[in-house]
Amino acid sequence: MVLTEHIIQRELDVPNIANFDVYLAHHGYEALRIALSQYQPADLVKMVKDAGLRGRGGAGFPTGVKWGFLPAGVYPRYLLCNCDESEPGTFNNHQIIDLNPHQLIEGIIISSYAIEANKAYIYARGEFGAAARTMEHAIAQAYAAGFLGKNILGSGFDLDMYVHRGAGAYICGEETALMDSLEGKIGQPRLKPPFPAVAGLYGKPTIINNVETLANVPPIVRKGVDWYRSHGTEKSPGTKVFSLCGHVRKPGNYELPFGVSLLDLIYDPAYGDGMIADRAVKIVVPGGASAPWLTGDQLNIPLDYESLASAGSMLGSGGVIVLNDTVSAPHVAYKMDEFFKHESCGKCTPCREGTHWLVRVLHRMNHGHAETDDIPVLHDIYRQMEGNCFCLLGESAVMPIKSALKLFPEEFEGLTHMKG
Amino acid sequence: MLQETCAAQIEAILARYDHPRSAVLPLLYLAQDTYGYLTNEAILEVANLLNLPQTDVFEVVSFYTLFYDYPVGKWVLQVCDDVPCCYLGAEEVLAALAQKLGVREDQLTPDGHFLVQRVKCLAACHRAPVVQANLDYIYDVTPERVDELLRSLRERIGSGEVLSVSGATAEDYEYAPAGHVRMIERRLGDIPAPPAHAANAAPVADEPASQVETDVETDRTNGVDHAAGTSG
Ligand SMILES: Cc1cc2nc3c(=O)[nH]c(=O)nc-3n(C[C@H](O)[C@H](O)[C@H](O)COP(=O)(O)O)c2cc1C
Ligand code: SF4
Ligand code: FES
Repeated sequence: MVLTEHIIQRELDVPNIANFDVYLAHHGYEALRIALSQYQPADLVKMVKDAGLRGRGGAGFPTGVKWGFLPAGVYPRYLLCNCDESEPGTFNNHQIIDLNPHQLIEGIIISSYAIEANKAYIYARGEFGAAARTMEHAIAQAYAAGFLGKNILGSGFDLDMYVHRGAGAYICGEETALMDSLEGKIGQPRLKPPFPAVAGLYGKPTIINNVETLANVPPIVRKGVDWYRSHGTEKSPGTKVFSLCGHVRKPGNYELPFGVSLLDLIYDPAYGDGMIADRAVKIVVPGGASAPWLTGDQLNIPLDYESLASAGSMLGSGGVIVLNDTVSAPHVAYKMDEFFKHESCGKCTPCREGTHWLVRVLHRMNHGHAETDDIPVLHDIYRQMEGNCFCLLGESAVMPIKSALKLFPEEFEGLTHMKG
Repeated sequence: MLQETCAAQIEAILARYDHPRSAVLPLLYLAQDTYGYLTNEAILEVANLLNLPQTDVFEVVSFYTLFYDYPVGKWVLQVCDDVPCCYLGAEEVLAALAQKLGVREDQLTPDGHFLVQRVKCLAACHRAPVVQANLDYIYDVTPERVDELLRSLRERIGSGEVLSVSGATAEDYEYAPAGHVRMIERRLGDIPAPPAHAANAAPVADEPASQVETDVETDRTNGVDHAAGTSG
């Protein structure tokens, strides 16, 4: 299953590609030259659409289609790179910046040209202090080489790029909360529509894409749509950098074509290399903490958007958390919902109150103080949240508890009987 | 006053945005590094710099977890206790830190050097358990490795290094095979000289504030419990 050539993790093929000179010596910024000299912006939008590139930030929305939603003739436009990466179990954006930052910068420049934006912001989570400094350094290198600033490579296209650090709030990864945060406000989601393509940052047309999504753009431009589509599946072309963590021998980021099985990711010696101490897989959360859980008997599922959806879960951010049989399901649900409670922005009641009550009940159950009707109470709380939250954070908070109650009901019953 | 001591940095920050209000977060970071934490006066200064209602800026400070409106000392140690870190030793690391430092979580050490907090996923789960010290990543921490971590951080206090609780000088660290904490080198290479025709000046990267070592009252506030940020 090993890729002969990596699309994103090029550091595995070209040692030290983070270095500007090394990047340049290995086709670095060639795609930018091609884009600016051979294509009109609209051609590039079509190319990305034809390549079938899907957003890697969670929803898998086709990137070229999103770019096509921009209203004609309305300027200025902004490109935002979503580098908030805070979904538990997800750490691929972080590594792309550490090990291959110029491919991201080049992708942002080409994408900005494609959507006719003259300013691009990289919104990095506040904790990415060192990564922000890495990007600022890479951006300064790109300016010095004439890949940023005025009249880039003589094309007449101008672009300025800045890194903007958040300050510790998962909700700011939600695209409209991110925009509010970048405008200097608290990060709370906006009502949609209007969608960002129509009214985004400062009310102007704005495109927002994930780090990994944008890093896919230079290879598509340089090597073409057919080449790109030769990887992955018909509906999920290309590769995905899966973040694998938990009780596996070799946690890490692994770039694999969409459609690889969970079994291969976890057990192949080139990737996860199996479970620590050969224990059994109990819970797999395949797409960051927001994804419904899978169990050890579902490992044959191919990792692509459609297959995971039909298995009742989702590919999400591609963060795959694997837990063994030493963990208790009510405890995992407690920890995961503690995350959502901590990160709830407080704007809407079902999420603000719901996560609070879920954690309160789960806390007492996990600490030997379960009340007799706690199980129906838990069902009742998440049912009141489901479908009623203002944004997906609250809906996601339902997944851990609902999954745990459905897959491991006996463990909750055990806790209520333990009451003493 | 920031206006006097950090004029060039403030100007560079404002130049990045089409609307000045966007500068709130970077200016709060600057104020936090200058004064050690966000005092009421510091927050008011930022509000005045941007001509914003005070309440808007206070609201921002209380929303984001990385703004500290309480004394935090020299090193804020943030231990990830999320899934999966919590199943791979994070609780043991937290206990070891509390024991070695003789404080509870969220309680500043009497010498004003360390504050230990729990935080959520830090996007480095493959190197669990993960700790940040002033937003410097420290990967693969174990209870046995806590002594060496504290030693290296104390050494950095003693070295006179400019420390920034806001991450302005952030680097990533790991344990070398010999057991000591070492910095992970950034290997981007130099910034080339600009081509003759280009009048493009690269935007200036944030420099750490000049007065990080300001003697804040932190040193005398031990024993006070500080609630970690709530929302976000
Ligand atoms: C609560 C929440 C958090 C999110 N966090 C992120 C994030 O950290 N990074 C990201 O790229 N997308 C995140 N998203 C998805 C974004 O809203 C948006 O869909 C994405 O940035 C679009 O980029 P893409 O099309 O390239 O995937 C989050 C969504 C929600 C609801
Ligand atoms: S669902 Fe939660 S995070 Fe989303 S708007 Fe409501 S309170 Fe905020
Ligand atoms: S859970 Fe600790 S870094 Fe992700």
